[in-house]
Amino acid sequence: MNYFVKGNPDLCIGCRTCMIGCVVAHEGKRIFEVDPDSYDFNPRLHVVRTVRLSVPVQCKHCENPACMAVCPVGAISQKDHCVIIDQDKCMGCKSCMDACPFGAINMTERKGHVQADGTLKKTANKCDLCYGLPGGPACVRVCPTEALALITEEDLETAMERKRAETARNTFRENHPQE
Amino acid sequence: MALKQVQTTCPYCGAGCQIMFTVDSDANKIVEAVPAKGRTNDGTLCLKGHYGWDYLNDPQILTRRLRKPMIRKGGKKAPLEEVSWQEAISYVAKRLKEIKEKYGPDSIMGTGSARGAGNEANYLMQKFMRACIGTNNVDHCARI
Amino acid sequence: MGIPEIEDAGCLLCFGYNGADSHPIVARRIVRGRQKGMKIICADPRVTETARISDIHLQLKGGSNLALVNAMANVIWTEGLADTKFIEEHTKGFEDFVKVIEKYTPEYAEPITHIPAETIRKAARMYATTKPAMILYGMGVCQFTQAVDVVKGLANLALMTGNFGGPAMGIGPVRGQNNVQGACDMGALPNSYPGYQNVTDPEARAKFEKAWGVSLPGEIGCPITHVPHRILHEKDEKKRIHAYYIFGEDPAQSDPDLAEVREALDKCDFVVMQDIYMNKTGLYADVILPAAAWGENEGIYTCADRGFQRVRKLIEPEGDVKPDWQIIAEISTAMGYPMNYKNTEEIWNEMIDLCPSFKGATYEKIEKYGCVQWPCRDKSMEDKGTPYLHKDGIFGTKDHKALFYGTDWHPPVELENDQYPMTLSTVREVGHYSVRTMTGNCRTLRNLEDEPGWVQMNTGDCERMGLKKGELVKILSKRGYCITRCLPTDRVEPGATYMTYQWWIGACNELTTAKLDPISNTPEYKYCACRVEKIEDQEWAERHVMELYDDIRAQMGIDTGKGAEA
Repeated sequence: MNYFVKGNPDLCIGCRTCMIGCVVAHEGKRIFEVDPDSYDFNPRLHVVRTVRLSVPVQCKHCENPACMAVCPVGAISQKDHCVIIDQDKCMGCKSCMDACPFGAINMTERKGHVQADGTLKKTANKCDLCYGLPGGPACVRVCPTEALALITEEDLETAMERKRAETARNTFRENHPQE
Repeated sequence: MALKQVQTTCPYCGAGCQIMFTVDSDANKIVEAVPAKGRTNDGTLCLKGHYGWDYLNDPQILTRRLRKPMIRKGGKKAPLEEVSWQEAISYVAKRLKEIKEKYGPDSIMGTGSARGAGNEANYLMQKFMRACIGTNNVDHCARI
Repeated sequence: MGIPEIEDAGCLLCFGYNGADSHPIVARRIVRGRQKGMKIICADPRVTETARISDIHLQLKGGSNLALVNAMANVIWTEGLADTKFIEEHTKGFEDFVKVIEKYTPEYAEPITHIPAETIRKAARMYATTKPAMILYGMGVCQFTQAVDVVKGLANLALMTGNFGGPAMGIGPVRGQNNVQGACDMGALPNSYPGYQNVTDPEARAKFEKAWGVSLPGEIGCPITHVPHRILHEKDEKKRIHAYYIFGEDPAQSDPDLAEVREALDKCDFVVMQDIYMNKTGLYADVILPAAAWGENEGIYTCADRGFQRVRKLIEPEGDVKPDWQIIAEISTAMGYPMNYKNTEEIWNEMIDLCPSFKGATYEKIEKYGCVQWPCRDKSMEDKGTPYLHKDGIFGTKDHKALFYGTDWHPPVELENDQYPMTLSTVREVGHYSVRTMTGNCRTLRNLEDEPGWVQMNTGDCERMGLKKGELVKILSKRGYCITRCLPTDRVEPGATYMTYQWWIGACNELTTAKLDPISNTPEYKYCACRVEKIEDQEWAERHVMELYDDIRAQMGIDTGKGAEA
């Protein structure tokens, strides 16, 4: 099963540390030394704030991803429990962005990828669970309020067991109201 | 590469978070900042604590880092000119003395700093204003 | 009280304090407290992150703080929820206080605060009956012309419910800048020497005169917010400010009514600026003294809950810069008052020996324990400092009793009118610090938020004016105007606007009023009348903002590829 990062609106304070953490993880530590206009600032998750809600939103790493199904060039694949976009293969057609029901994909410019007309190429951008980077998803690590968690199959299993046990107890109480 | 670990207090906000820096002392640069187990921050940092230190390498984004003392020799509208520390210090001392002699100590105002400078510099600033200039005209941005 | 204790409170009254934006690591304690079942009452005109998770959100009309606080006191008293034993044993002046709050029934406060009377009742009951109860307040209390009265009003609530002198209770101001507590501790104040010893107290003065070998003035000095007036309008030559030595501050950006500040700096005979980065004040400075920055020098900061902590040198400064303390010592020596210190520890040792409350906080102890909260009176390693003040309800007054202080609410100075029908309050940007000479020069923090910033407005107001998210708008008060981007949000009530204060182009302090609280001398940053205007030609506006930005950056010594230098 694919993993995913889940945000908890009861803990999130909307500070967006996760968004910078995401960029730093993908650009590498050199980001703090290089020319300030030479790197890409393309967070792969976005903090959403409504009147009564603040929470980061990112890719759910679906089991049967719509984005992957519609990609005409096979730039999207599943490996090691996550759904990944190969930005070098991406042709910028936006089909995946359209297909994603969660708004988890956006189109972003990549520095250094100049097209024939002189503009920068835009490719699809989304959470890759920090694939291949040490320490797991950076957003989870840097969040000051522990509002983000990486959910694995085991976590889900444990959560489901807990819920089932709760259901069983409730059923028992319904049947034996006096106890 | 000589790496050392230095723990310090974050310069942003009154929460007083502790940060552990890895420093390359040969290259004189910061390599990494991670949260430390401070009394108030308990191993966490916000975005300023995590990512707010690269201004030290003067990236030329917003303003230029000040590297040399400067004096506007031709008055208010004149350009700033770089001078030696000796010239800057004696010029400031001379002008402050003149103003104090002409108008009295209460014609001079000094500020402390609630930001990077630290307690010791604030102690010296108020001591300077009170003992050397002779006025209680010293305050800082707690009000603003 | 200390920051870690917040999460152990039974009830938190969070008043005019938006931790999520000003101190995320304090907000973390509030969130954790909530998870542990802490009740939260949040008094704020905006739906802040704390308001969002609160049990009761008192969404009061800006500028009505004291009416709400007095009404809560009224409910606690009339419904018999006060801790009469604590009041009797530890306080004075309660009867006079009751006379003041008698008229502040929730029904009386409702039209002033725009909060239903029943909601005020519920909040007062929750605060009075959940123990221990803690109050945190911030600039939403302090930055009004009626500020000190509200702080005292909040203290009244804690006193009348016996919420003093134990863990996770009391009342805590959460100080904004990293060392604002430290600058106060060190006596960078016109009325007190280091350690809160009054300049008007002959005994204290004699002590410092002896230690420093000079005679010292006994009159209270000039508060920073009086400086523009004392430069521009003071008639007495001996009191008019002729020289301004500005150290680690940027009044030409951070102070209210910037037009007046600029005029004052321009007219002041001699302006010295000591700082790490070029800033707007530097444009008016006669001398600029370059200082070593945080990370380049040693010292001690005091955090918001009175904790002394070490700040250490990480790297060697580049260029011809000196630590702040060394520059001050050299000027003093050149003026004939020698200051010779080898390092910050020598300065610190001189200071603590003059301050009974800090005497025990040696470098050695701060190194060993990491953090020492004052008062710390004994140098022995056993005295580890004081986590909370007023232990067991023993107060710092002569008879150890706390004094109730009641007073009437008054409205803010500049109210909405036909010409300026909306209100402006200044707030904080989470990723930027102070005037942003530090964070604005940090790569990723700049990426997250940059010029010209945002004006937060109610979505209904935006729809009425035909404004979309991100559109550039002009915002004006009778003192000035600026350009910023519109951010429609229902977290803000109709008629109100909010802007953060560190932008050069979206500079809200062009609009703010310099009217002050009579005691704290803090300006009314949280309330002035304004008007928002739509800009029809957005293309022009975008270009104009870029040009302004390039111009100011060029003035600040950045090569923008266009030449101009200061």
